[in-house]
Amino acid sequence: MSVAEAPAPEALPEVHIVPPTPRLVKVLIGLGIFAVVVFGFFTPSGEDVTFQLALGEEALALPDLTLPAKISAIAFSAIALLAAVGGLFAARKERALWPYSTVFGIFFVLGFLSWAVAGSTINLVGLLQGSLLLAVPLVFGAMSGILCERAGVINIAIEGQLLTGAFMAAVVASLTQNAYLGLIAAPLGGLFIGLLLAVFAIKYWVDQVILGVVLNVLAVGLTSFFYGRLLAPNQETWNSPPTFSPIAIPVLSDIPIVGPILFNQNIVVYLMYIIVIVINVALFRTKWGLRVRAVGEHPQAADTVGIKVNSVRFRNVLLGGLVAGLGGAFFTVASVGAFGKEMTAGKGFIALAAVIFGRWKPMGALAAALFFGFADNLQSVLSIIGTPIPSEFMLMTPYLATLLAVAGLVGKVRAPAADGIPYKKS
Amino acid sequence: MKKLRFAAVGAVAALTLAACGSAPDDGGSSASPAASGSSDFLACMVSDAGGIDDRSFNASAYKGVQDAVAEFGIQEKFLESKSQTDYAPNINALVNDDCGIIVTVGFLMEDATKEGAQQNPDEKFAIVDAASDPEIDNMKGLLFNTAQSSFMAGYLAAGMSQTGKVATFGGLAIPSVTAFMDGYWEGVQYYNEQNGANVEVLGWDQNKPDAGSMAGGFEDQAKGQQLAKNFIQQGADIIFPVAGPVGLGAAKEAQSTGKADIIWVDSDGYESAPQYKDVFLTSVLKKIDIAVKDTIGQAVNGEFTSEEYVGTLENDGTGLAPFHDFEDQVPQELKDQLETIRQGIIDGTIEVTSPNQPKSS
Repeated sequence: MSVAEAPAPEALPEVHIVPPTPRLVKVLIGLGIFAVVVFGFFTPSGEDVTFQLALGEEALALPDLTLPAKISAIAFSAIALLAAVGGLFAARKERALWPYSTVFGIFFVLGFLSWAVAGSTINLVGLLQGSLLLAVPLVFGAMSGILCERAGVINIAIEGQLLTGAFMAAVVASLTQNAYLGLIAAPLGGLFIGLLLAVFAIKYWVDQVILGVVLNVLAVGLTSFFYGRLLAPNQETWNSPPTFSPIAIPVLSDIPIVGPILFNQNIVVYLMYIIVIVINVALFRTKWGLRVRAVGEHPQAADTVGIKVNSVRFRNVLLGGLVAGLGGAFFTVASVGAFGKEMTAGKGFIALAAVIFGRWKPMGALAAALFFGFADNLQSVLSIIGTPIPSEFMLMTPYLATLLAVAGLVGKVRAPAADGIPYKKS
Repeated sequence: MKKLRFAAVGAVAALTLAACGSAPDDGGSSASPAASGSSDFLACMVSDAGGIDDRSFNASAYKGVQDAVAEFGIQEKFLESKSQTDYAPNINALVNDDCGIIVTVGFLMEDATKEGAQQNPDEKFAIVDAASDPEIDNMKGLLFNTAQSSFMAGYLAAGMSQTGKVATFGGLAIPSVTAFMDGYWEGVQYYNEQNGANVEVLGWDQNKPDAGSMAGGFEDQAKGQQLAKNFIQQGADIIFPVAGPVGLGAAKEAQSTGKADIIWVDSDGYESAPQYKDVFLTSVLKKIDIAVKDTIGQAVNGEFTSEEYVGTLENDGTGLAPFHDFEDQVPQELKDQLETIRQGIIDGTIEVTSPNQPKSS
């Protein structure tokens, strides 16, 4: 069709098009109304709720915040509802939604806590600090997933990579009695699984989902075998690694609330900050990232412009293995020390959910992982305070949230177009 | 030439078949060298998914089997269940091996064991942590009233707490776990009653069993560490994890912060997890090994009955471990009170009301 034949756009009558309300906004408004009604109505009047804003170790500690529970539940829920309505107008004007949904999230949670904690005390700093810690392996796992899937290889083996990473870190740190050497060895454990994934998926075109599952079983089998034969009987030599202590960053760690949460953590957490930023920049701001995404979306096109599709994929899968392996170190040298059978306990699969929840974007996956960590820690804190919610229900919240998210609540979720399809040059 | 080739194939096939035929003999009695006893009685065990190196109840049961091998000069064989679907095939495999007795470990294996016992009335079965109810003639339940010993642990914790808050959490909300938590909670309440104190229990309330702190399994040590961190932030200074290896995470947190002590579970933590021995106030013992050994002994001597075994404070099937490093820190008065409580529970003047304790005690 030539340009001359096309109708001139000026000739069309002017129509003001109102963009359809995104589903996310509808859901937020619904949740906001629910919060005002339920938290407002069911919070007993006359009870106080106390939010502690410091851990008690800080030089500059904020005082506790004590509020009447019923009033604060209603007020916080109302602010959340207002934020959701604000999001509705933002959507009309096609502005970004995330500031509104963030405000909504914060006040919805505060409203929920006013109801759930009424008559008791909750330490907000401790709650958030713990949430971040629980999210660390999820973030590393999700970054591994993104590196692989952006290049078009599905990585179900994150769980196995975390586990072998945890194992290598524990063994090397024990033998050398040096936690830093453990941290260096951990990525090699993940690399081993990554290498198997790369060879079988890219070279031999094995179905990637089945392959990933098999590699997870292999990782469990291998580590359990060595655990039973070597680590458990010779605890002192093979399985008693030293661990990292938190490092307080001067000045930054003294900021009230934010300081102890973000800047008084161990080295693996700081590495996580760096890795997320590096991957985000590399994927969307560099030539390398453009090539990776091209390979994941349209390998034939990438090939015609001279990108070596399979070697890009191969390198990315190995890189993913390194990152997930490093995350595995969190389970041993950055927390409890000793390795335990199947100690990753399904975290790799939740990381996979974070990849999807975060729409294959590093920042999105980070937010998803933090959300899962928060839900996890909230469950444990609330069970300690003693809330009316059954523990089994609290345990399933992260999974329920994932299911809702994947079902389309966060907007259209679309995987890279060539994800999981081996590239065969014809 | 062609004929020769056929003959060769046939010979190879025959050899292969012969090899297959002889294989079960090798695998049939994979007894360890130490087990080369005089008797050909075979004591068998099926472990739960934790495996025999879980430093918890599977390990304890297997120790019972090994002790029996040493004491009665018999043979042993054990199969590990990788998942719940392995229970029945493992039991059937052992039935085919002519075991003198089959010991299964864990509440979760109850159904598979019952089925095995009913289908094989000539085989003897014993199960740890489950009852033979309704009674099956060839199946013996090995139960432990850990609520009694945990009652003492709760009293001790309340007496030792500086902050007036003590904590407990479990792995899964199953009776063999919650019995410990009930007893602990009751012990603290009893302390408050007797001493006019107001010690609080975080993580469990016998009257609100839905809202307890659970790790959601027995593997995630990071979860145990996080739970302990949260307990400490809420002011608890003694924590009682009832979650197998998950409790190691709690011990790690207690040790690195120095703000809490741990009461270990099942075995004496001072010996089974020595890297944390400085934070173990005591341990609530569940002497599975002795019960398993005695039951095997009965089977060897032809005295096996389906009569239930319940480990109690009275028969020393459960109890508190020594205080070890805390020996000097626990006041003599508290030690005397604990002994009084032990006697009280044995003679029935103190009643443990946990709905999760074994019924027949």
